[in-house]
Amino acid sequence: MDLTGLEQFGRDDPHRYKEMFGMFLESIPSSVLLINRELRVVFANKNFVTKSRRSHHHVIGQKLEQVLPEAIIEHIDIASRVRQVLETNQPIRGDRMTYRAPGIPIRTYYYSILPFAWRGEVENVVLLMDDVTEQVRLSEEVRRVERHLASVVESARDVVLSTDSDGLILTWNTAAERLTGYYSGEVKGWSFFDRCATEQSEELKKVFMDLKVGDSSQTGEWELFTKDGNRIPISWVFSAMKDERDRPIGVVAVGRDLSEHRKLEMQLLQSQKLAALGVMAGGIAHEIRNPLAVCSSAAQFLKNPNIEPELQEECIDRLLIGIHKASSIIENLLRFARPSSSTEMTPVNLLDVIQDALQLVSNQAKIEKISVSVEFPHQALAVYGNANLLQQVFINLFLNGINSMPEGGRLSISAKKSENGAEVRIEDTGCGISQENLEKIFDPFFTLSRVGKGTGLGLSICYSIVKQHLGNIEVQSMAGKGSVFIVSLPLL
Amino acid sequence: MTDNAPLVLIVDDEPDMCWVLKNLLAERGFDFRIAQTGEAALRLVESTKFRIALLDAKLTDMDGLELARRIQSMNPAIHIIMISGYYYRDDVDIQEAVEEGIVSGFIAKPFLHEDVIRMLGAVDSR
Repeated sequence: MDLTGLEQFGRDDPHRYKEMFGMFLESIPSSVLLINRELRVVFANKNFVTKSRRSHHHVIGQKLEQVLPEAIIEHIDIASRVRQVLETNQPIRGDRMTYRAPGIPIRTYYYSILPFAWRGEVENVVLLMDDVTEQVRLSEEVRRVERHLASVVESARDVVLSTDSDGLILTWNTAAERLTGYYSGEVKGWSFFDRCATEQSEELKKVFMDLKVGDSSQTGEWELFTKDGNRIPISWVFSAMKDERDRPIGVVAVGRDLSEHRKLEMQLLQSQKLAALGVMAGGIAHEIRNPLAVCSSAAQFLKNPNIEPELQEECIDRLLIGIHKASSIIENLLRFARPSSSTEMTPVNLLDVIQDALQLVSNQAKIEKISVSVEFPHQALAVYGNANLLQQVFINLFLNGINSMPEGGRLSISAKKSENGAEVRIEDTGCGISQENLEKIFDPFFTLSRVGKGTGLGLSICYSIVKQHLGNIEVQSMAGKGSVFIVSLPLL
Repeated sequence: MTDNAPLVLIVDDEPDMCWVLKNLLAERGFDFRIAQTGEAALRLVESTKFRIALLDAKLTDMDGLELARRIQSMNPAIHIIMISGYYYRDDVDIQEAVEEGIVSGFIAKPFLHEDVIRMLGAVDSR
């Protein structure tokens, strides 16, 4: 300690020095006791006297056990600690004691016992007591808030995790443990990107990079791997975690398991598909019974032993063709009716998909006296998609057009390459859609169809499937004149 | 082929079905004409006195029942037999058409040749 200033201060007036020193001790916001070898109090500063609620002469010259409460004397055995310091000349630092003076609430002190040597000899010890009641209360409050926050995160049903800016996992809540099978202790320090679907990790790294350079949050759907190798679709919200100077220090990720949602979506798709099949049933029955009738008749002609050789040949040909026709109708039907087991995307030729869809509804069109025209480009239109889902889109749009023409009409289907990718136009000459209804037609359960003809789900499902394929669907219509639906999908 | 064999009108837009009916009626000695659309059928009915018409229920340009109605109004003496893969025998539409006297008989596809011939004989003798 540099006391040069003090020496300077007291040189002229020793009395003033003593007084200043006394004031200095008095002003210390800690309790200071000087205790001699007989364990009597030699000096006590004002802070102690006030806190202990004793008068000055009830303190000075008194034995330590008369000054401090009995509980403290016994509980922390202050007397032997003081002796220990006197003997060893080593300070005892940093212990906590609670002290309660009569009539005031419990206070908590942080005390140190320091040897006070005079010319190398330990004559006294200093008992220094800091009132830390408020700090203790605050730190308990902080711990309580921390515990509360932790339990908020732990009780959440959503996955809540945090990472540093590079995606290394810091925390991982119970919901994340339950969902993935990985314990929080296991994953700490792992890269979050390694827990996600391999083909999506680059995209995720970009999201984290955007957060690092200033984006406040990013949302999207990415899959998470479980311990047993399954992939779970999750809707994520990633938020940048910032320090007090607003610098990004990490990422908080909140994710919701979409498996159940996906299952329901699949069920909805399937039931809408069955509803569409119901609408097409009449047409399909007709379509199958025609070749069956031809086959049956050909067989009956063949029963005649005197059949002309020419007719015999014709009968055999028509039998074979008829059976093939019926079977391909059934195959097409089966392929459409089968639930899409996955939403897996592969390169598909859009023209094949449209052709298959058209085959299923062509007879329905015929029954409703609707002529169908098709205009296709010579080259294939390759898109990245799920053929089964896309087929559902076109069947719904074709049936929608057919339903809008109860008095017959024309359904024109054209496909071409455009600046928007593959563009398919489905045009009808039906009743059209009024301006006020036009904005509602992609809403679920909105229908203009007669009872039993539409569920109100077809177009909303078309919309969600097309969006899922990163495409677009729009409609132009004039009431009484007809409608055009335009589906555009990105080309491969 | 006898002189009093009834003249039959065949209306079906499916060439295969026309092939079947053509061969069947030719084999049994009937005289017939074929139309593949409703409009063509009406033109034939205008110029020719048919005793019986075999109609498909669903044509590209016209509904079979509507065609039956129009043929009947042009030739009330004609007997109309519906042949269809779309309707079934006790279908409400068919029942009504039979009760109204527009349709004399109904045959579901696929059919036995004998049933068609029997029905042709039955309606012709009414």
